Amino acid sequence: MRPLSASPLGRRWLAWRAPPGPLRNYYDHHVAILSTPYDRAHLLAIDLETTGLDPETDEILSIGYVPIAGGRVHLAGAAYHLVHPLGQVPDETAVIHGLLDGALAEAPPLAEVLPRLLAAMAGRVAVAHHARIERQFLSAACRRLYGRPLAAPFICTLALERRALILEGRKSGDGDLRLGSTRARYGLPRYRAHNALTDALAAAELFLAQAAHASGTKPARLGSLMG
Amino acid sequence: MDAELAEIRDFLAAHHPFDLLPALKLQDVVRTIEIRYARKGSRLIVPGDKVEFLHIIRSGAIETHDGDGQLLARLGEGDFCGVRSLLRGGTAINRSVAIEDCLLYLLPAAAFERLRQTHRQVDYYFAPMGGGRLKESLDLSDGRREINLLGVRVGDMLSRTPVTIAPTTSVREAAIRMRDERVSCLLVTEEGRLDGIFTDRDLRIRVVAEGLDADTPLRRVMTPNPICIGADDYGFDALLAMARNNVHHLPVVRDGAIAGCITTTNLVETQTTSTVFLAGDIHKQTSPEGLAQVLAHLPELVLHLAESGATAHHIGHVVSTLTDAATVRLIQLAERRLGPPPVPYAWLAAGSQGRHEQTARSDQDNVLVLDDAYDAATHGAYFHDLSHFVCDGLAACGYVYCPGGMMAMTDEWRQPLARWRRYFLGWIEQPEPKALLFASVFFDLRLVHGAAALFDTLQPTILEHTRRNRIFQAFMASNAMQHHPPLGFFRNLVLIRGGQHDRTLDIKHTGIGPIVDIARIYALAAGVPAVNTRERLEAAQMAGGLSTESAADLRDAFEFISLMRIRHQTRMIRQGQEANNFLEPRDLSSFERTHLKDAFAVVKATQAILADTYQTARF
Repeated sequence: MRPLSASPLGRRWLAWRAPPGPLRNYYDHHVAILSTPYDRAHLLAIDLETTGLDPETDEILSIGYVPIAGGRVHLAGAAYHLVHPLGQVPDETAVIHGLLDGALAEAPPLAEVLPRLLAAMAGRVAVAHHARIERQFLSAACRRLYGRPLAAPFICTLALERRALILEGRKSGDGDLRLGSTRARYGLPRYRAHNALTDALAAAELFLAQAAHASGTKPARLGSLMG
Repeated sequence: MDAELAEIRDFLAAHHPFDLLPALKLQDVVRTIEIRYARKGSRLIVPGDKVEFLHIIRSGAIETHDGDGQLLARLGEGDFCGVRSLLRGGTAINRSVAIEDCLLYLLPAAAFERLRQTHRQVDYYFAPMGGGRLKESLDLSDGRREINLLGVRVGDMLSRTPVTIAPTTSVREAAIRMRDERVSCLLVTEEGRLDGIFTDRDLRIRVVAEGLDADTPLRRVMTPNPICIGADDYGFDALLAMARNNVHHLPVVRDGAIAGCITTTNLVETQTTSTVFLAGDIHKQTSPEGLAQVLAHLPELVLHLAESGATAHHIGHVVSTLTDAATVRLIQLAERRLGPPPVPYAWLAAGSQGRHEQTARSDQDNVLVLDDAYDAATHGAYFHDLSHFVCDGLAACGYVYCPGGMMAMTDEWRQPLARWRRYFLGWIEQPEPKALLFASVFFDLRLVHGAAALFDTLQPTILEHTRRNRIFQAFMASNAMQHHPPLGFFRNLVLIRGGQHDRTLDIKHTGIGPIVDIARIYALAAGVPAVNTRERLEAAQMAGGLSTESAADLRDAFEFISLMRIRHQTRMIRQGQEANNFLEPRDLSSFERTHLKDAFAVVKATQAILADTYQTARF
């Protein structure tokens, strides 16, 4: 099935519906089509750290992203932004990502940061581990700021992994699909978790590993990786 | 805000030469990097490719083969692939394949080039060859090098001015002085000149136990002309001097004047597993079994020395000194059993013991030179029994019999001086393969016990002939070419293929052996009596046979490779394995690997010079 956001016509429709500004600019760029081999596509690995898991009530605290092009991660395009939250950071999540009110107080609000992310996403297919979080939080943010949800093509490395394990006939336990454990299965090094940029980088590398393993004699096409 | 790519930065910062870059520069470098993943079996670089990146292996492994399929290198985490191609302008001539799934950090060629231009340390590292780098590595490699005996000068260990006393003083006054000054030894001086030394042990043994009067003058009971040590010598030299001479006090001399006295206690405070104790214990043993028990601690001592940052040169000295001590003790026990020798003799150590380069209980190599008054019919049995007692004893202590039989217990190597002279002249005048095999062992002789005069007569004769006989030198040089350092044309480590030691480096025969051989040739050609490889190189340089630079490079390479071997062996011992000489490159850090390559390159370069000097291709 082809998501609306991944087809040229669909994107024109979405752009027309979006108000002028960052969101419309985002839709105005073409993204790779589903038949593009992964090593020729432009992608952007993204990770968010948030105050919780509910996109309606919780807030984005930091955003990390790094582009992938030509089958390689490009660190030159890596970026990391802290976001000034409207409310307080709950202690139980602060211990995970280490972002405290003090550090965030100086940060710009989401209204300033989101356009930069959308600009980076323009023309690129997003990649994230457990992409539902990123998709939902970004969509909620767009709705709040621009009045329209975000419809963006996402590749979820967690979903890819679950599918790969099922194809191999293996059951996956709770912890098996976490970013770190999944990376370990591909011989990828252990990175410190819960920094948005490091996690984005970790997801980018994981995507390349998964795509390499999903490829036969020819590189896998994006459509087969989007699930 | 700025993205901090901590994982990449930290990885680079942990790897040479990126560790030498300033933090800000390192951030810049990180921002230029691209990352790729390669599945096992992927061809990363094939001949003819334009290489666009310096490949830095983050995880996984790569093998590089030349056009003939010969394995040139096996690279692992932290290694670089594609360097040669980049330095040559970008076109690959070898094939590099991922042999495991790999994550590769890619530094673009342009960024690499820029970095080499702006940062000399990076250029220096990647520049094709430079022995000078080795020296630094010896200093840099062990961050936890402690202040210890090996680094402390004797002069700096002195805590007080020397307590001196006149030789005419009575023993009673001396004892009072020792009590008041709280010292265990007095330096006996006359007009500022050191006459002797008097210790509390002397007081017990030579005065009280002998029932001497308390008014006895010191001159009668002191040890005259004691062994001294220079203030500039290292604490370790003092330790060895004490062990060798079985004394506990050493007067310290600075610029010809007495500066103080150092004691075993001073040294032991800094060193717990003490060579002094081991050497002392050796001299207390009355049976080969007892000796074996003491020497069982030797691996522990080497482990300790290696961990506390001792140099290979020093470790070689310590271990060989202990082997000497065991040999001397066995000879004393043999003489006690067989009676005094009927004619004078000299017990000589050969091979690594002779060179002071033993790092473990290895094969024994020794010979017996007998006075020319020796008569086989009447004295044969005595020396037969003596040499068998000592060699068997050494074997019981863990020094296995020399597989080639090069031991004093072999009749051929237990001969009068005249016979030995004939042996050597024969080897020198008519070098032949078998002779050269002996030569490598027997040209490294050192007196361990017995009549020094015998050895002192033999050695100059040998050197006189080796110095003059250029054909002999050429044969030795040609022989030294038989083992090449395991370095490929493109500075890759070439591993043993197949067999029990598949994919390893034989560090003894291809690393240490060639340097020992090279040093021997230069020393024999220059008529230098030293046998220790480092001393030979220094002497050959002084004699003008070897350039200052080559000598320094070789000395550093020798030290580095030897240290690698010691670390490898101590690592195996700690893991409860039998120590061997086969290094697995994957067990090495990238730092160690790089400098090992440097060291091998030095050896290779010197072999080439030697081949050229002696035109060895003609032999």
